[in-house]
Amino acid sequence: MVLNAEKKDTGTNTLNNISKENNLPVIALIGMPNSGKTTLFNSLTGSNFKTSNYPGATVEYSVGKLISRYGFDAYIMDSPGIISLNPGSPDEDVTIDGLFHHPKFGLPDVVIVTCDVTQLSRQLYLVKQVIETGFKTIIALTMNDLLAKKDLEVSTEKLSDLLKTPVFKINSKSREGLSEAISRTESMLQDDSIADYKSRIHKLPLPSEDEVAKMYEYTESAEKHVLEHKTNKLDLDEINRKSFHSLSRTPDKSSLKLDKIFLHPIWGIFIFFISMGIIFTSIFWIAQPLMDLIDAGFSNLSSLVSDSLPPDTWYSSLITNGMINGFGSVMIFVPQIVILFILLGLLEDTGYLARAAMLIDKPLSKFGLNGRSFIPMLSGYACAIPAMMAARTISNRRERFLTIMIIPLMSCSARLPVYAMLLAFVVPPDKPWVAGLGLGALYLFSIIAGAVTAGIISKFKKTEEKSTFMLELPPYRAPVFRHVFKNTYYKALVYVKQAGPIIIVFSLVLWALTYFPNVDPVLPESRTSGLDEDQVSMLIESERLNTSFAATVGKYVFEPVLAPLGWDWRIGVSLISAFAAREIFVSAMAITFNITESEDDEDNFRHSILTSMREARSPDGTKPLFTTASTIALIIYFMFAMQCLSTVAVARKETGSWKIPLLQIGLYTVMAYVLAFVTYRGLNLLGIQ
Amino acid sequence: MITDNFIENTKSVADLKIGDTAKIISVGDDCIDIHCHCLRLMELGFTPGQEVTVVAKSPFKDPVAVSVRGTIIALRKNEAECIKIN
Repeated sequence: MVLNAEKKDTGTNTLNNISKENNLPVIALIGMPNSGKTTLFNSLTGSNFKTSNYPGATVEYSVGKLISRYGFDAYIMDSPGIISLNPGSPDEDVTIDGLFHHPKFGLPDVVIVTCDVTQLSRQLYLVKQVIETGFKTIIALTMNDLLAKKDLEVSTEKLSDLLKTPVFKINSKSREGLSEAISRTESMLQDDSIADYKSRIHKLPLPSEDEVAKMYEYTESAEKHVLEHKTNKLDLDEINRKSFHSLSRTPDKSSLKLDKIFLHPIWGIFIFFISMGIIFTSIFWIAQPLMDLIDAGFSNLSSLVSDSLPPDTWYSSLITNGMINGFGSVMIFVPQIVILFILLGLLEDTGYLARAAMLIDKPLSKFGLNGRSFIPMLSGYACAIPAMMAARTISNRRERFLTIMIIPLMSCSARLPVYAMLLAFVVPPDKPWVAGLGLGALYLFSIIAGAVTAGIISKFKKTEEKSTFMLELPPYRAPVFRHVFKNTYYKALVYVKQAGPIIIVFSLVLWALTYFPNVDPVLPESRTSGLDEDQVSMLIESERLNTSFAATVGKYVFEPVLAPLGWDWRIGVSLISAFAAREIFVSAMAITFNITESEDDEDNFRHSILTSMREARSPDGTKPLFTTASTIALIIYFMFAMQCLSTVAVARKETGSWKIPLLQIGLYTVMAYVLAFVTYRGLNLLGIQ
Repeated sequence: MITDNFIENTKSVADLKIGDTAKIISVGDDCIDIHCHCLRLMELGFTPGQEVTVVAKSPFKDPVAVSVRGTIIALRKNEAECIKIN
């Protein structure tokens, strides 16, 4: 935990020295969700910001420097939207705590509260709370253009008089009102007339329900007092007569109209599946050429480097097979992460994401999940890495952790080559459709396994937090592409910087296990005669792996464990190698079984690996190693086993501790083993060998 | 028993149909669960006296989208049941 916190501190360049020591004032932005807080943050900081977690928590906050056009230096701190200063969940607790004693910034010098004027009576609730805590507060009124559609506007003078706090109308996109608000902030920062200003700031006690009701009575009367007709300046009595309530407290009209379609019982579901289909297609297929490109780039780099280094030396292999491949396996996930986060950002910005979550919430809530778990789970069918990162959109911590917990069970695309090879072995060659059917069943089975696992865990885990939904459906809006791209860029950057090092360390350990100690294996003449150079080098590679530490572990630790499943140490070694990535199982099998065909020639490769599998004998040499039963058991094993170190690294990063990734390794390995055993023995009992 | 009768006799937001509007009379008065989120519901703006309108329901009739104080909030059925209306 400590190590990681330090890593995060040093993880940036421009904002490295963020600390109270250099005496820059800190301006905190507070606001309800969807109140325009983050748009304001983006306009105030430009592209110069960094996103971090509160130490020891998975709650994100962003800090940036005020852009130079405002003429003074200050840090701007953005934090997740809150409903009130009374925490409603552990995550909100962290956010609110951060306002009062932020570990790095202490108390903010000035607080800017964003307030959506189309729901004034609601948003003044938080405004009023912030003022009561004693912060130097500036109110930034947002969404004035939407209120103008109802021919209403807020009198900033009246509101300012009422709250005894400066109030500004702003439009973050056009920058209207920003310089006025910021120059007022500057003079507030310089004003030290209030002695011991910071020691006066205090947390509010939890209000009673009556007090909340009272507070709302106040905000309602405030709302009536400050709202004016925009054009013909009717006096308030007249507005009240024209049903004040229906005017100021109805949601955005065009959003209501759009909701008639997007939340329609039939059309809503139709649109939901279309949009989810687009997301899935994009990360499954559109990302593929980009991933191939990265893959090809790194293997070219690898062969380029190995050509310029002395051949067959351990450090040449360390650099090419260890480091370059390790970095390659970090970068390979970037296209999927980028595509998924652009799409998620667009859906979030337009306001559809919240609606999609509402549509699918009911079935997921049965398993202790949330409507927002759907996109991460769907993404899990492409890859668990972006999927776990997408789980950040789930605001309830318990449901987010549960979603992250079951994501590795979703049948990711790296399992496809493994399934394809194993199914090809099991299925008779003249009936390829059986393999297709089998693959379909595997996909279906994986969603059932995930749901059942989530259901069981949520039953047994003590509830620290009651499952709630209570999600605001924000008005539909056009997305700001610049912000979506910027946010995506930072998400990808954080992934590379924080999960990357763990993945690279794991890859190096794995490389060392499969490379040492027989670095330079000597093959007898009899085995190499008549083979060309490539085939000999493949045999050498095979010999090296089969005498490596991984093989030793495979022979003495795995073989006795794997024997009841009908497998031997060679499968064990391939499983160890496949921790780097599941699809490596196929090439690792080829190496352990001494296949000399190149993987580039797909037909030949597949033919020879299937032949080797048929010829392979069990350890005592009496019966075939790969039988229908032992191969199906292997498929079942792959469905459940946590065979992916990158996933472990990202689960560690996303949950902020090793608890969940270790639980995943333990639980899913046991599940995989037990189910593979049951499958193997069950099939044997049924007479299938 | 008493609570059963109470629930039967009082309508909540969960009973409203799409397009229906009603006035809140109380929030969480009969909640037995101390962990309930009634305070949070009130902080979200569901206070007695407010008018609420059911804007939409999910295909499974749960959650429901309710408009209150100029915004729309999706609530699960068990949450909507805490908000009593006349």
